[in-house]
Amino acid sequence: MKPAPFEYCRPSTVDEALEALGSSESSRVLAGGQSLIPAMNFRLTDVSLLVDINRVEGLDAVTCDSGGVTVGAAATQTRVLEDDGAASVVPGLRAALRHVGHLQIRDRGTVCGSLAHADPAAELPAVAVATGAAIDVTGPAGERRIDAADFFHGPFWTALEDGDLITEVRFPAPPPRSVTIVDEICRRAGDFAVAGLVAVIEVDAGAVRSARLVGFGLGGVPTRLQAAEAAIGGWAADHPVVTLTEAVMADTTDAFDDIHAPNWYRGEAVAALTVRAALRALATEEEV
Amino acid sequence: MSLDIDSHIRHSSRYVGRSVPRREDRGPLTGRGRYVADIKLPGMLEVVFARSTEAHARITGIDTSEAEALEGVVAVFCAADLSDVNTFPDYIPYIGAVRQRPLAEDRVRYVGAPYAAVVAVDRYIAEDGASLVAAGTTYEPLPTVADLDQALASGAPKLYDHWESNCSFDVAPHKPEVDRAFEEADHVFTETYVSQRQTGLPMETRGVVADMVDGTLTVWSSTQSPHMVRTTVALMLGMPEPQVRVIHPAIGGGFGTKTHIYPEDVVVPWIARRLATPARWIEDRMENLVASVHAREQRHDVEVAYDADGTIRGVRCASMLDMGSGEIFMPGTAPVFVTNACITGGYDFPNMEARTIGAVTNKTPAGAYRGFGIPEGAFVMERIIDRVARLTGTDRADLRRRMLLRPGQTPYVMHGGGRLDSGSHTESFERALEMSAPRLEQVRKRHAGDPDVRVGVGYANYVEPTSPSYHLTTGHWGGGDAATVRVDPDGSVRVAAGLSAFGQGAETTAAQLAADALGVSPQDVTVVLGDTERTPYGLGSWGSRGAMMLTGSVLLASERLLDKARAIAAHMLEAAEADVVLEDGAFHVAGSSRPSVSWAEVGTAAWVRVVDLPDGMEAGLETSGFYHPENLQHQLDDTGKINAAASWSNGTHIGIVSVRISTGEVTIEDYIVVHDCGTVINPALVEGQVHGGVAQGIAGAMYEHFQYDPDTAYPRFASFMDYLVPTCAEVPHMEVDHFESPAPEQPLGVKGCGEGGTVGPPAVVAGAVSDALSEWGVDLTECPVTPVAVRAALRAAEANRGGGSGAPP
Repeated sequence: MKPAPFEYCRPSTVDEALEALGSSESSRVLAGGQSLIPAMNFRLTDVSLLVDINRVEGLDAVTCDSGGVTVGAAATQTRVLEDDGAASVVPGLRAALRHVGHLQIRDRGTVCGSLAHADPAAELPAVAVATGAAIDVTGPAGERRIDAADFFHGPFWTALEDGDLITEVRFPAPPPRSVTIVDEICRRAGDFAVAGLVAVIEVDAGAVRSARLVGFGLGGVPTRLQAAEAAIGGWAADHPVVTLTEAVMADTTDAFDDIHAPNWYRGEAVAALTVRAALRALATEEEV
Repeated sequence: MSLDIDSHIRHSSRYVGRSVPRREDRGPLTGRGRYVADIKLPGMLEVVFARSTEAHARITGIDTSEAEALEGVVAVFCAADLSDVNTFPDYIPYIGAVRQRPLAEDRVRYVGAPYAAVVAVDRYIAEDGASLVAAGTTYEPLPTVADLDQALASGAPKLYDHWESNCSFDVAPHKPEVDRAFEEADHVFTETYVSQRQTGLPMETRGVVADMVDGTLTVWSSTQSPHMVRTTVALMLGMPEPQVRVIHPAIGGGFGTKTHIYPEDVVVPWIARRLATPARWIEDRMENLVASVHAREQRHDVEVAYDADGTIRGVRCASMLDMGSGEIFMPGTAPVFVTNACITGGYDFPNMEARTIGAVTNKTPAGAYRGFGIPEGAFVMERIIDRVARLTGTDRADLRRRMLLRPGQTPYVMHGGGRLDSGSHTESFERALEMSAPRLEQVRKRHAGDPDVRVGVGYANYVEPTSPSYHLTTGHWGGGDAATVRVDPDGSVRVAAGLSAFGQGAETTAAQLAADALGVSPQDVTVVLGDTERTPYGLGSWGSRGAMMLTGSVLLASERLLDKARAIAAHMLEAAEADVVLEDGAFHVAGSSRPSVSWAEVGTAAWVRVVDLPDGMEAGLETSGFYHPENLQHQLDDTGKINAAASWSNGTHIGIVSVRISTGEVTIEDYIVVHDCGTVINPALVEGQVHGGVAQGIAGAMYEHFQYDPDTAYPRFASFMDYLVPTCAEVPHMEVDHFESPAPEQPLGVKGCGEGGTVGPPAVVAGAVSDALSEWGVDLTECPVTPVAVRAALRAAEANRGGGSGAPP
């Protein structure tokens, strides 16, 4: 479990980082390294140059305003998790980060790194899709902004091109009177989810008005549960559960099948999480 | 065995029976534990093994030239280079001989089999070299066998050309009384129970450092049995045993995996000898998951004859062990024999006909893991009892009450010859029931309002053979251990034992025993373990033998030492030996505490001021004792039975679970253990053994599972992402209570306690979840009990009921 030989550099500006990334064919950005370094140790990924962005000025900022939260490329998960402002503007961030790995992992792991890594079972990509986040990227082709919905292409595969660097991600605030719930089934505390759900649910007068439902751990990319989103409008606690579960099952027929779970289980699990989320959202409205 | 000192300690014990603080924790807890990987020798080279990437193949070529050309690579060795190394012995006559070479020659039988060793100046370069060797290796793939069914199918591809089939052994006793039970019983059911493949997974992986200086080969090995490693390495390398020294420094757990002697234990010393340079290999975690033994993969085809009132009349059980490739020394065959020997647990149930089968497959060799076959058997028996209770409408606890051994029923000879010398089988169960009843009420109340949750309770009553014979396992060694006790001129006591230790607390235990035996304080006792040059021969730590072996050997040596010390003291006191007593750490004439002679004065006389010794007495104050439990059998008797353990502990586990119906998630809400390991030397140590054992049992009940691709026998795991080890977040709080039924034939009445904790959880969790889901008729027959398994069982129950495709709710 030792990596093959590689070069390492630690630039101090974005321009230097981009130059370094362009200088070598299999260069990779090192932020928290919580997935990249193990992959290198397993010799699963071929890296010739690591470009460490942790000393790049200004990349570790976390800023909040009433419209959303902006997280810089080098900001750690712990930093965002502990930011009360971020938690109140985009509650899904804290809710998701509580499920991410363990303390030691979150202390080094970054929010943007998790997006760039695009593990299909990770929470943060699903939060990005559920909230409609925008990802700012700079690279050989210049600067551009990519919607989360267009960013994830497959397992560990994103819209990023060779030499690209995410500079920051902007999570917009969810609609007022909405409840954000991040819930998952995992075998052990801190594991990647067998299946999970990010739900942004708007409630009104004891019923669900509308919801954005994004599953993770189901397929190669965060999965919009479109049939369930259609079915959940108007749903109330005394409505039959089956209208929701059948819709989720229809949304998840192609879910992953691997040693952790067969695809039918993932569908059932997310169906159960959807029901749980709807009930919780409705209960939250009552409290308010 | 009866020792005078035994009764002396029983009467005057000051430390035995108390939670004397552990002396072995300071190093590990302060980061100053010195493990094999901490040993740095001048010029030491690093070894990395190239391992098979094929499950079953002929090696058609190994091109090592690119690796050898890499800067920093010193040498690459393949099987042909090791022609001066002997083959691992096949000592057991009734199992298939595997004729294992230290490195695979032209055939590999599992992914992970070592076939070349790359020696380099550092680990990084050695791994680069191993990658190049792998790239230069060509295979001709052979058809694979991935499980027992495939292995035992007629016409199955064979792993060993010189065998008739993949069956290594098939021992099938026939019992006419069981036939009669089947003829007479009201009903019969058949079922198959399955225990999944796991491993012991010590936190510290294996590792070997070797250095040959002036003709003596020193081997530092992370092993549970240094003397056995010495004997085997000397045999394999053709060296006199005194020229091989094996040391185990601090060890970060073994759990059975380090009882075996692996190819690396032989190849690394060979490299150090060949290159005349220190060499080391440290197993990394990726290797550990394929290169250290697996365990527990068994299937049990049972037939159960029972009456309408719940009486179980007879059981036939074919217990089948998936041995993996079988290429391991000692062979990993014994656990399934232990499964059958212990399968009836604490129940009075002689009508068991147990057949024992082992077969080889293209997977990592199976071997030892804490529990050593007992959990698999307990799982089968407890599931059978629950099934019969359900089929006959009998209360599960009542049925167990009817079957358990009662007070006064010991000694009791089990169906296979195991002799339960003593125990608290009924008492433990009743106590555990008392403890669990109010907790069960609380848990039920807590979940009463949630329609998605069900609560259930599970039981296990087991026996734990302790200090077993090693002859059935190895075909070679027996079952005794030696200790040496010395009193130095300053009166300090030194105990050296052939037992080794890696966290159990053996040093603390030995100090308590010696302190009581010699009337000193544990602080005055230095304990030496784990070095073949400094300790007498012993078989190491496994089989819950440490407490009993230390008690027997330390007391035996102490008794001899005390005899001589008393003679010296009597001479110095100018008194008759018979009048001299040892009290409060000094010798004096009975009835008057002055004058007295201290241990320091006796030690000084013995070693230094020999002029103070009685005329003609040999100088020195050091004695040895080799303890062998006298009722321990090593070979089957004429009827095919054996009592292969010196004594038998017992216990009851009761677990309360909640199950979430919609997701299949299981939570252990409460866990109760009532445990009986005879006389307790150190309650805190026993409690720790129980806690750790239960944690590993829960790992087997709910989490850990090595899965292989059924078509290719390729591992479907590579890391802890796929092999799920429970953490402190998954292991519940547990309540532990004790009985003490002293072993009638053992010094101090001590029994072992290392493994019992692992035994209960698979049976308890499967039983509790089945209980929780009884309204659907769910009756689990396999571990691990995962959310997927629970949902699958509910779906199957619903489908059986004709309820359409939808599962509850």
